[in-house]
Amino acid sequence: MHAPSSSRLTPSGVLATARAYPFSTFLTVGLLYVALWLTWRIVDWAVIEATWQAGDRAGCNPEGACWAFILNRLPQFTFGFYPEAERWRAWIVLLAPPALLLLAMAPDFKGRRWIIAGGFIAYPVAALALLSGGSLGLSHVPSDQWGGLLLTMIVGIGAFVLSFPLAILLALARLSKLPALRWLTIGFIDFWRGMPLVAVLFMSVIMLPLFLPPGFEISRPGLALTGLTLYSSAYLAEVIRGGLQSVGRGQTEAALALSFGFWRTQTYIVMPQALRAVLPGIVNSVIALFKDTTYVMIVGLFDLLNIVTAALSDARWLGLATEGYVFVGVIYWLFCFVLSHVSSRLEAQQSRVVRQDQILTGSTQ
Amino acid sequence: MTAPTSIKVRSLSKWFGSWRALQGVSVDIEGGACTVLCGPSGSGKSTFLRCLNGLEEWQTGEIEIGGIAVGDQPRALTRLRRDVGMVFQSFNLFPHLSVLDNVTLAPRRLLHRRRKDAEEQAMRLLQRVGVARQADKLPAGLSGGQKQRVAIARALAMEPKVLLFDEPTSALDPESVKEVLDVMIELAKGGTTMVVVTHEMGFARRVASRVLFMDKGRIVETAEPEAFFTCPCSERAKSFLADIGPP
Ligand SMILES: Nc1ncnc2c1ncn2[C@@H]1O[C@H](COP(=O)(O)OP(=O)(O)O)[C@@H](O)[C@H]1O
Ligand SMILES: [Mg+2]
Repeated sequence: MHAPSSSRLTPSGVLATARAYPFSTFLTVGLLYVALWLTWRIVDWAVIEATWQAGDRAGCNPEGACWAFILNRLPQFTFGFYPEAERWRAWIVLLAPPALLLLAMAPDFKGRRWIIAGGFIAYPVAALALLSGGSLGLSHVPSDQWGGLLLTMIVGIGAFVLSFPLAILLALARLSKLPALRWLTIGFIDFWRGMPLVAVLFMSVIMLPLFLPPGFEISRPGLALTGLTLYSSAYLAEVIRGGLQSVGRGQTEAALALSFGFWRTQTYIVMPQALRAVLPGIVNSVIALFKDTTYVMIVGLFDLLNIVTAALSDARWLGLATEGYVFVGVIYWLFCFVLSHVSSRLEAQQSRVVRQDQILTGSTQ
Repeated sequence: MTAPTSIKVRSLSKWFGSWRALQGVSVDIEGGACTVLCGPSGSGKSTFLRCLNGLEEWQTGEIEIGGIAVGDQPRALTRLRRDVGMVFQSFNLFPHLSVLDNVTLAPRRLLHRRRKDAEEQAMRLLQRVGVARQADKLPAGLSGGQKQRVAIARALAMEPKVLLFDEPTSALDPESVKEVLDVMIELAKGGTTMVVVTHEMGFARRVASRVLFMDKGRIVETAEPEAFFTCPCSERAKSFLADIGPP
């Protein structure tokens, strides 16, 4: 742009540019060198020198990554200690969310929205029932055998699906005209936001059972899920409150004047606009929530991160922490990537509608 | 058809904090006719109108619409609002819904009409106000005049007995003003009770059965439009008419 006109990608052009801007040329070349060097080191370690098949650490090339360790343990990282004969149940639980997401990306067809919404709402309950069994002719699998990615998914998606409606109610109560309700809600939200998640999880596992009626028991994952749900609903409630406040008073008044009551006004008019307005914030909270599931390890659950950490102390595969954590990191990154991709698709759809709209206006006036 | 719905207001007073916006307003509004409410800015016209359908709470006084008291009991209020439509200065269309959905939402969700029936009715109404061609657009894609006509169609979809208009043309360019006024003139022939806050004196002359002039939270003059425009009684109305110019 500001380079001399001779700055084409010919040797003389490049040289002329370099002479005109010595410092930025130096910086560019330097950064390029560092980037190339890093890429080369990573590719060399992760692909070229890597070992994919081996029986133990000794069978791996010490110059490269020992992916054989990950591959050997992959079923365990995915399912925890879920019995092999029953893994089809776990497969269903794992594949349902991506299937629903794909459906959400599919072109419009009748009832699509209902299938997606219904699917996600039913997911935690259906997943718990399917995994735990004990009815419908399914054998019972105690929850201490669930683990790995499977557990991460249930806790993550479960906490989101449960905390979302709770957050909507909290946000509405937070803006209520009734002072008692408003102050109680503010107290509730501040309580959960003010505590570290670690403390929340300890509390829910140790204290929650004390509040339950006798004879009523919740499994450890269930208790952790409850704690995580309450914790993230407080954050989500504040995001949604921002959305609610961004919807003009005129909208509520128009709805009231049409004789909509409070709940219908919220359902059909305010919420759809509020949630759209804060979609990026919601996705942000979901990503944070998904990563927060790793804290369940401190109450003794073996989610993906914890089960990989545990596997690192296997005597046959000692010293492979890098491989283990790179694997976990890539999985988490993939999830967050998919989530932000989905959200930017939704946002783009939104703005496309508006833009098209403006073009149409221009042509009719 | 049932008898037209009249409105009775007695000693209505409303305070915003310590500011008294309505100072004991009493008036009878004739059913099946168009009543125009005018007055200087800040005189309490919007506040008065918003009390009529309970959008604004008031402290003392009574309002009856068609013999039914407007109260603050939420269910009764919601029921009453079915019969009282309102059109706002700033349109307040639902921006996330298409024009058609704006009109069908209330009949479908509140009167439990089937989608097909509601859409047929909506298309008739949109035809009537002249925006049927825009049915599938979002409100953001309409001109101001089109938006306000959609807002009128949306109010009409609930088949109200009373229609309240709060400066429906104040936010519009002159050409759009005419579009909207034409629709309102058409409506006024239909026998719905209309209360219109407006400074469009041409409109008042043509269709109003009475003009109410409001100042400082009081209705200071009630007259036939002809009488009001030719010889307003109060000094305040005289200077107001001089300010807004001849109709
Ligand atoms: N929400 C409110 N809070 C405080 N004062 C208000 C509010 N709404 C209106 N007012 C005051 O009440 C008076 C009447 O307002 P309004 O009915 O809107 O007047 P008009 O519609 O005739 O211009 C004005 O002085 C205005 O400042
Ligand atoms: Mg006003």
